Amino acid sequence: MNAATPTDFSVADAPFRANRVPVGSPAYNQITEFLYEEAWLLDEIRLAEWVERLDDDLRYTCPVRQTRPLNQQAASIVRTVMHFDETYASIRGRVGRITDTRSAWAEDPPSRTRRLVTNILVEATDKPDEFEVKSYLLCSRSRFDETNLLMLSCVRHDLLRRHGASFKLARREIIIDQTVLGFPNLAIFL
Amino acid sequence: MLDRTRTTLSDGTTIDDLINVQTREVQLRAISDPELYDIEMRKVFGKTWLLLGHESEIPNPGDFITRLMGSDPVLITRQKDGSIKVLLNVCPHRGMRVCTSDAGNAKVHTCIYHGWAFKNDGDFIGAPVAGEKMHGDILPKEKLGLTQARSHLYGGLIFATWNFDGPSFDEFLGEMKWYYDMLFQRTDRGLEVLGPPQRFTIKANWKTACEQSAADGFHTLTLHRWLGEFAKFGDGDLTTSMYGTEVGSLQGHALRCMPVANKFKQAAGFRDGNLTLEEKLAIVPPPGITKEMLPELIRNLTPEQLGLLVDSPPQVGGMFPNVLIAFIYVPQPDGEIIGLTSLHTYIPKGPDELEFCNYILAEKDAPEEHKQKALQFAVRMLGTSGMVEQDDSDTWPHITQTAKGAAGRNITMKYQAICNTPPRPDWPGPALVYEGFTKDDTQWNWWLAYRDLMNSAL
Ligand code: FES
Ligand SMILES: [Fe+2]
Repeated sequence: MNAATPTDFSVADAPFRANRVPVGSPAYNQITEFLYEEAWLLDEIRLAEWVERLDDDLRYTCPVRQTRPLNQQAASIVRTVMHFDETYASIRGRVGRITDTRSAWAEDPPSRTRRLVTNILVEATDKPDEFEVKSYLLCSRSRFDETNLLMLSCVRHDLLRRHGASFKLARREIIIDQTVLGFPNLAIFL
Repeated sequence: MLDRTRTTLSDGTTIDDLINVQTREVQLRAISDPELYDIEMRKVFGKTWLLLGHESEIPNPGDFITRLMGSDPVLITRQKDGSIKVLLNVCPHRGMRVCTSDAGNAKVHTCIYHGWAFKNDGDFIGAPVAGEKMHGDILPKEKLGLTQARSHLYGGLIFATWNFDGPSFDEFLGEMKWYYDMLFQRTDRGLEVLGPPQRFTIKANWKTACEQSAADGFHTLTLHRWLGEFAKFGDGDLTTSMYGTEVGSLQGHALRCMPVANKFKQAAGFRDGNLTLEEKLAIVPPPGITKEMLPELIRNLTPEQLGLLVDSPPQVGGMFPNVLIAFIYVPQPDGEIIGLTSLHTYIPKGPDELEFCNYILAEKDAPEEHKQKALQFAVRMLGTSGMVEQDDSDTWPHITQTAKGAAGRNITMKYQAICNTPPRPDWPGPALVYEGFTKDDTQWNWWLAYRDLMNSAL
């Protein structure tokens, strides 16, 4: 089983894993900084710079969720039809639509977003330059003069790969908490 | 024919005041008036056939899904004999939702409130401590089961209605069935869903999305302009894909048939009349069909349907009241043509909110690789993150809000672009046929169908 896309959280999240990169260690701090910067770039709509941080073998997915009983929690994550099912090329296409046209109305005028990234846990992998990173994301979104913020909470399972002094995102699976999204679209990245 | 009444709002406004048949205008007030909404729930969503899913979601006995049928939660179950039942997911004891999962498999559904239990065909089994008879003696057990809707399978799609004496499903489709059959009844084994639906919320009245689905061609030119600007559809000129034929009916159903020759260079010769049907099919198969599946297509459709499907397939449209239909071509750089198949239901969640429910489908007999590509492109173009439909999701909330203003409510939505071109003499199909550049006629028919139901006696 691929540990970066766990199907059973009770296994993936077993505490005190031997390969945990300790909170506060140099590698942990670098990864945390990478994620904070990423959130900043996305909130500032610096999409071209965000794309530079994606590796070209990227898989970027966001499963559909379903309400299921406690003993069927694996089935609550649906990886057939998903909300995002992307590669590096398709993400570049999405970004190009926004940056290279005057008609990507879904985000023009853009939402004001705030990506709050917390609960970062890092694990080393068999490959010294790759890390599995779990982070919580609370994304608030404000459109037009609507006073109520739209909210979306999720956990992201990332694979980060060291490139020189920084990292690139090689895999991201976004596990959203809502079965019915409160966002009117996913025209923004998570 | 429906019994007509004069549906009147509390301030004396009638439906016919809001929908002006002479000038083809609809007052914006009709969009999100809460009083109208309440009537819609009973006269539209309580009366028409509604799409609830696809039987491939529940392949095995005991399988179930839960869905919304208008504002009613329903439980859809596969029976031992293979048939399907649509049951009101409301406990006859005191109204708790009986099944609280989105999907699963169960022989018995037990209400977690006081424990009444039901077979998956809805029959009441019993209540806890049988000897003490929680359900009393006043009503017989036969009266204590889950309420069953009238249901119908069409091309594997699950439809149901609360209108037990109303039109049959075929009557509901009417003459448009001839066209829908070209999409849903064209292969031996039919369509299947590629997974459960995407679901998300838009703060807009359901009608804003639904009148658009009744084949609003014009909005593509502006709201979806990126398709020409960036995706280079029609070599950058979207107007070419606005020429074609719109078909519809006074029941509010509509489809836009778009000539293949306008879209694909390899199909340029289709117009000359020198190619046989088989030759054309091999050059550009209809959306979602692969070359291997062509013999099935020929088996299942009449030569007239086949001829139309090859030259001018229905690609987008709707089914009254709240379904969007998309069978779209996505040409690949290597010349391959992927066909996307998607159905949406726009579920009313109050006067100012709708749930967008997006089903992605493929032909069962399509090769696995084709299905996976179709799925990926469907996710990228339509639904939650779809680059096309992202752009629809702001207009509907804005209209819902502008409809509330003291002045805004009196603005009218106009459907005055009228087709004046007679149908081609060789047009092979029935129903109302609008030839040429896209116009407003099919959307106007949607409102006429709405008006008819809203004026019907309950
Ligand atoms: S409401 Fe279901 S058993 Fe009482
Ligand atoms: Fe649209």
